[in-house]
Amino acid sequence: MAETHLLELENLSKYYGNIIALEGVSTSVNAGEVTCVLGDNGAGKSTFIKILAGVHQQSEGTIRMNGEVVSFKSPREALNAGVATVYQDLAMVPLMSVWRNFFLGAEPTKSVGPFKMIDKATAMRIAKQEMAKMGIDIRDPEQPVGTLSGGERQSVAIARAGYFGARVLILDEPTSALGVKQSGVVLKRIVEARNQNLAIIFITHNPAHAYPVGDRFLILNRGKSMGNFAKDDITQQELTALMAGGSELQELQAELEEAISGVKK
Amino acid sequence: MSEATEVNKIIEDATNGGDERLAYRSIFQRLFIRPEIGAIIGVIGVWAFFWAVSLNFGTTGQTQNWLDTASTLGIMAVAVSMLMIGGEFDLSSGANTGAMGIFFILLIKETGDLGGLGLSIWLAVPLSFALAMAIGYANGFMVEKTALPSFIVTLATFFILRGLKLGLSKLLTGQISVTFTDEAHGYSFWQPIFAGTWQRNEHIWNGRDVFYIGFLVIGAGIMALSACEMHFVRRATKAASGLPIFAAGIAGIGAAIFLMHTTDGVGANVLAAAVLAVSVVVGLFGFATWRFEPIANAGKFQLTPTIAAPLVAGLVAVGAAAVASFVIDSDNAETLFFPFTVQGLRAVLMMALSAIGLALLMVAANRALRLNLTTKLVVSTITAAAIAGFAFVIRASAEVAKFRTELFSVFLLAALALFAWAVLGARFAERRRLDASADRFGVRALIFGISLMVAAVTLRHLFVTQAELDAGVNPARFSVRMLWFFAFTAVMVWILGRTRFGSWTFAVGGNAQAARQVGVPAARTKTQLFMIVSGAAWLVGMLLSFRLSSLQAGAGDGEEFEYIIAAVVGGTMLTGGHGTTLGAAFGAAIMAMSLVGIQAARWNTDWRWVFLGVILLLAVIANRFIRDRADGARR
Repeated sequence: MAETHLLELENLSKYYGNIIALEGVSTSVNAGEVTCVLGDNGAGKSTFIKILAGVHQQSEGTIRMNGEVVSFKSPREALNAGVATVYQDLAMVPLMSVWRNFFLGAEPTKSVGPFKMIDKATAMRIAKQEMAKMGIDIRDPEQPVGTLSGGERQSVAIARAGYFGARVLILDEPTSALGVKQSGVVLKRIVEARNQNLAIIFITHNPAHAYPVGDRFLILNRGKSMGNFAKDDITQQELTALMAGGSELQELQAELEEAISGVKK
Repeated sequence: MSEATEVNKIIEDATNGGDERLAYRSIFQRLFIRPEIGAIIGVIGVWAFFWAVSLNFGTTGQTQNWLDTASTLGIMAVAVSMLMIGGEFDLSSGANTGAMGIFFILLIKETGDLGGLGLSIWLAVPLSFALAMAIGYANGFMVEKTALPSFIVTLATFFILRGLKLGLSKLLTGQISVTFTDEAHGYSFWQPIFAGTWQRNEHIWNGRDVFYIGFLVIGAGIMALSACEMHFVRRATKAASGLPIFAAGIAGIGAAIFLMHTTDGVGANVLAAAVLAVSVVVGLFGFATWRFEPIANAGKFQLTPTIAAPLVAGLVAVGAAAVASFVIDSDNAETLFFPFTVQGLRAVLMMALSAIGLALLMVAANRALRLNLTTKLVVSTITAAAIAGFAFVIRASAEVAKFRTELFSVFLLAALALFAWAVLGARFAERRRLDASADRFGVRALIFGISLMVAAVTLRHLFVTQAELDAGVNPARFSVRMLWFFAFTAVMVWILGRTRFGSWTFAVGGNAQAARQVGVPAARTKTQLFMIVSGAAWLVGMLLSFRLSSLQAGAGDGEEFEYIIAAVVGGTMLTGGHGTTLGAAFGAAIMAMSLVGIQAARWNTDWRWVFLGVILLLAVIANRFIRDRADGARR
């Protein structure tokens, strides 16, 4: 069925010299859907993100938005096209205040004569508002962002991406460093963002987080795609097995059971 | 509560009264964790130190002296601090100032044997500016393309410039300095812009003192009122009964000042001082009654041993200081043991003992505060009395005239302020929640009050009265450099704090990769910062050339480290992402005051580098301490 997806990747490959970071990866995402990209460490997820975010260019393959071929030569171009990325390291400047980080690169301005200055009152108000919507009560928008907890920083980053009119939101392992409750909060945000008709690409190595929220799953292993499945076509267990490389996991499980029963005796 | 109303409540709290989880930080506390505060305290401390140890440091002549030195140093320090906040260094900045000046002079020098190009100054000014921008752009370009540390790249630029300066001067003029005469086209227009002067003794204004005293008093008054505004809880409805009391206080202050200036003689002065003191307290009390919420019950006075101990000890220490001042001979300049003379020892003992005594009294006051307000009021009153008493001791025993008058007045005013604040604090409720509109109003009033006082001091320095002229006051010449310094600092502070470029500067200094990821043009920002430093070097080059009409080939070499030191003393970190340009301006002032003050104090100028090194160390430690408290306070 030839439908136009909001974002479609066809046969994406990236080579660094003779190292194959990605080869022949294809997936798609529509507005109001979540596509999860799963894979263990070293599977090529970072490279995948960087290409979509405009940091690198792919060696082969095409990226299409709404059917038209696009190519992002810089992060700015990707942002302008509506593709916002929330990185694993969150892209925050720790010594700067929360509101400055929120608006970094896109500060609201007001003109004083021929000069443009930052509209600080508006910026602080909007930052506090947007984060309140995320359920994060930033005590003081002036405090340095380095003083926030990991989950709060993640929420600032997601709120930032959402506020700036992203159509596609790429989340790079948002729950990896979070506790159970905070992870739940972030997953709720993802669902809310999806309900607001954003297209989400959710990158993680945790199938338990991915399965509840995902509509489509792409599994990467050592740079190659292990499959691109719709939710109806796969169960969570199958997903986990594919990710870990099936038989290896069963062997590990058997060894563990032996070790545990050995200790009990 | 539904999620929507919960969100609305959070937003409402934020805009009106602040988050209850946030422990209230009064505006004074917030002021204290600003990065500039270390430099401001340093300026006041260094100024007070040199005022005390030298004869003429506080005079207009010496003030003009250090302000002048601070101007060129400060312009570069401000620019360099911006670059450092952006995470880079420019070691060519010193040589650049000389290069700009020399290049400019070579452009306008007469042609022929003298080796210049004979251009009009109108042409040379934009040409030299363009060269400055090119050098800055080149620095930025190379730092970005080579990805080497800017330390290395600009070191290379430094050597290149240094060689060019020497080589070109020798090649074109045969000498290692370049000179121009005032016959260059456009000289009469451009000279006042870059090297204009204001001769104080040529500007006579007999009405000066009316404005000086007036602005000073009104400014101080507004500062006091704004401090109250930021500290106490506003009443729901103002109490009109306070207004007549307030008016009476103001009338009293006016009468006292009038009395002080129209009469002479000790008796009249004492009367005037007493009227002033009473009026100040009455006026403040009236203002507070009108505007602030009173406390129902301030408690009963109790003297517990924990309070009595430091109280008595403090009084004893202050008493000992007084005794030392009378017993030790202040005339005796014999050296007891290096580096103290007898009179030096006396000064040190007086300062140390009185400081210890004051500290102990503060401890007593704090402990009293934890008990109840009435007790604190009593302790504070005793402290104020001790300070006032010490003031009279100084007056009676000091040899130096200015201590007898100026230091005496300062101590009396301090005692009065302490007493008045204690009285208010015992009667009116201190604010424990954020009141954004009161703080805003208070801060604006404070800035207005400070501006008035600065204007008063400026007037006093810029004009003379006929009486002073007749008495033979020294001439003082102010240079337009200072205006350039103030203007440049103001513009840079505004850019850093209020524009997107300023935000991007902090970002690329704090985490360049993160900045790039969100679309900040990191390379372009850094290049622009290098160009700002170059531009500042151009300005300084112009200022130097026009004043001296000649420059040595080595002008500016080696001074880049002084700029960095001034920036660090002012509170900018070497690691980037954090700092203050306003602080750098103050840092330059501290360094300039030290250099001029050491000369004024007749110390051996060989030791001045030791002094500067000590100041640098103290400043860095103080800034680090403040930053740790600031971070801790925000966690």
